[in-house]
Amino acid sequence: MAIDRLQALLDGEKVDQVPLYHFLLGFCARNVGYEVADMYADPKKSYQAQAWTFEQYGIDGGPDYGYASYGGWEFGGEIKMPEGEWQQAPSHVTFPVNKPEDLESLTLPDVRTAGSLPLAMEFSKLQQQNGTPITVILGGNFSVAGNICPPSTLCRWMLKKPDTAHRLLRIASDHIMDVVRFWADTFGAENVIPNLWEPIAANDIISPKQFEQFALPYIKETNEQMLAMGIKHILYHICGEQNANMPLWAQIPMGDPGLVTFGHQVTLTKAIEHFGDSCIILGNVDSSLIQTGTPQQVYETCRDAILEAKDAPRGFMLMSGCELPPMSAPYNVFMMKKAIEDFGRY
Amino acid sequence: MADESRKAEILAGLHDGVVEFDEDRTVELANQAVEEGVDAYEAIMDGLAKGMETVGGMYARQEYFVPELLLCADALYAALEILRPHLKIESHAEPRKIVVGVVEGDIHDIGKNLVKVMFDAAGWQVIDLGADVKIERFAAEQQKAGAQVVGISALMTTSMLAMPKIIKMIKEGDPNARVLVGGAPLNPDIATQYGADGYAPNAGEAVAAAEAILAQA
Repeated sequence: MAIDRLQALLDGEKVDQVPLYHFLLGFCARNVGYEVADMYADPKKSYQAQAWTFEQYGIDGGPDYGYASYGGWEFGGEIKMPEGEWQQAPSHVTFPVNKPEDLESLTLPDVRTAGSLPLAMEFSKLQQQNGTPITVILGGNFSVAGNICPPSTLCRWMLKKPDTAHRLLRIASDHIMDVVRFWADTFGAENVIPNLWEPIAANDIISPKQFEQFALPYIKETNEQMLAMGIKHILYHICGEQNANMPLWAQIPMGDPGLVTFGHQVTLTKAIEHFGDSCIILGNVDSSLIQTGTPQQVYETCRDAILEAKDAPRGFMLMSGCELPPMSAPYNVFMMKKAIEDFGRY
Repeated sequence: MADESRKAEILAGLHDGVVEFDEDRTVELANQAVEEGVDAYEAIMDGLAKGMETVGGMYARQEYFVPELLLCADALYAALEILRPHLKIESHAEPRKIVVGVVEGDIHDIGKNLVKVMFDAAGWQVIDLGADVKIERFAAEQQKAGAQVVGISALMTTSMLAMPKIIKMIKEGDPNARVLVGGAPLNPDIATQYGADGYAPNAGEAVAAAEAILAQA
C-alpha cells in the first residue's frame, strides 16, 4: 500500500503521480476469495482483503470499514449482511423509526456497543497497528437520518412534519458527533479522518432548497465541531447527482485540506471550481462503466478525468465515482492504474 | 347529477389537489364526485391522472423532487380508493398491465414506487412485486397476469447484473412481453446491452417509455 502519496497531499506536498484512491470493498473480497459479507462482518478479513488488493493494484491510502446504510442498526433496527449473487453491502430489514411517536422514545445509542460500531472500532485498531490512516465511516447527517427511518418517511416529514424531520436530524447529528468523539478519544483527534457518505441528500431525491433547510445546517455544524475538536481532515463522499447542491456544499468546512469525492454526475471541473482551493478532489469514474464498459472505455474515461483534474490546487486522486462494483472485470480496474501511469505523472 | 360546469370544477380540483399534494382536498372532491354522479372513470383520468401527468412534468423539470412526488401520490391514492369502487368497468377497455419490481438483492424501492404511481395514474393495472424480488418471479408473474410490460428497477451496480437473466427468462416465457428498465446505475446503452426493450431515466418518463415500446411492437 502506498500511504505516502495520500499523506503528501494531506501535508500539502507534491506527489510523483496522481494517486489511485479506493472505494472498493466487495471487489476486494472477491479478489482474494472471501465472501462479500466478510468485508462488513469480519474486520480482520476485511482489512486483509483490502490490503492485499491495494498492493496488487497499486492503490493508495489504507483500508476502510463501512457501508452506506449506516445508522439503522445502531439505533435498534435490523440489517442483513450481503448474501447471494446480487447483494453488494448490508441492507435494512427493519428501521428503528417508522412514525413520529417512535422518535419520542429514541435515545442516542452507546457508541461502544451499538450496531456495527464494535466492528468498526476493531477495524480501526487494525489500521492503527498497521500504520494506515485511521478512519471512521458514517453517513452524512441527512443519510444517517434517512437510515434511522425509511428515506421516503423522512421525505414526507420534511414537507408535512418539518419539526419531526428536524428532530430526527438533530439526533442523527448528535450521534455522528458521539462516534467521532469516541474515535478521537481513542486514537487522538489529529489521527482520525472521518469519512462521511451522503447519498440520500442527492438531487436525485431532494431539492437544493430542501438540502439548504434540512441538510446544510446540520452538516456544517457537525463539521465545525469535528474541526474544533482537533480533526484535521474530513472526507465527504458527495454521492450521486449533487450539481444543484454544490454552492451549498461549498459553505461547509472540510479541514485543511479536506477531501471531497464525487460521482460521474458532477464534473471534476465543477468540483475544482467549488472546492479546489480548500480540498483534495477525488473521483469521478462512473462505477457502472467500470463494471459494464470495455477496458478501452474505462481507460479513456480515466485519462479524461486525470487530464481534467490533475492540476487541482490541493491535489487530485483518481477514484470510482461510487463503490467500485464487486463484479467488475479486474482488467478494468487495472485500466485505472494504467491511465495514471500513462497520463498522471507530474 | 353535476352539470358540466360543476363537473369541470371537480375535475380541476382533483387535478390541482394532486399537484398541490392536498390529500384532504382530493378526498373531499372524490366524495363529491361520487355523490354528485360524476363518472368515476372521468374523475380518475381527467382529474387525478391529469394531475399526476402535470406532476411528472414538474419532476422532469426539477420543480418537484421525490418528497413532493410522494405526497402527490398520497393525495392521488387517497382519492383513488374512493373512486375505484364506482368504476363501471364494462364501459371501458381492458387496461394495459405492467409488472413492476426491484431486483433480487436490492431493497431500494422509492423509484419503483414512483413508477407504480405513474402507471396507476395513467390507468394501467399494476402488479407490484415489491423489492428484493427473486429473479424467477418476474417472468412467472408476467405470464400469470398476461402483462404486456415488465418494469425492472435496480439501484445497485451489483443487483443490476441480475437484469439480463431476468429479461431472458421473461422473453423465453413470452416473446411478446416487453421489458422496461430503470434505476440510478443504468443508462440506455446498458439497457440495450441487457436486452431490454426500453429505458426510463426517471419515473416521470416511464409511462411514455412503455407506450413507446408497445407502439414499436
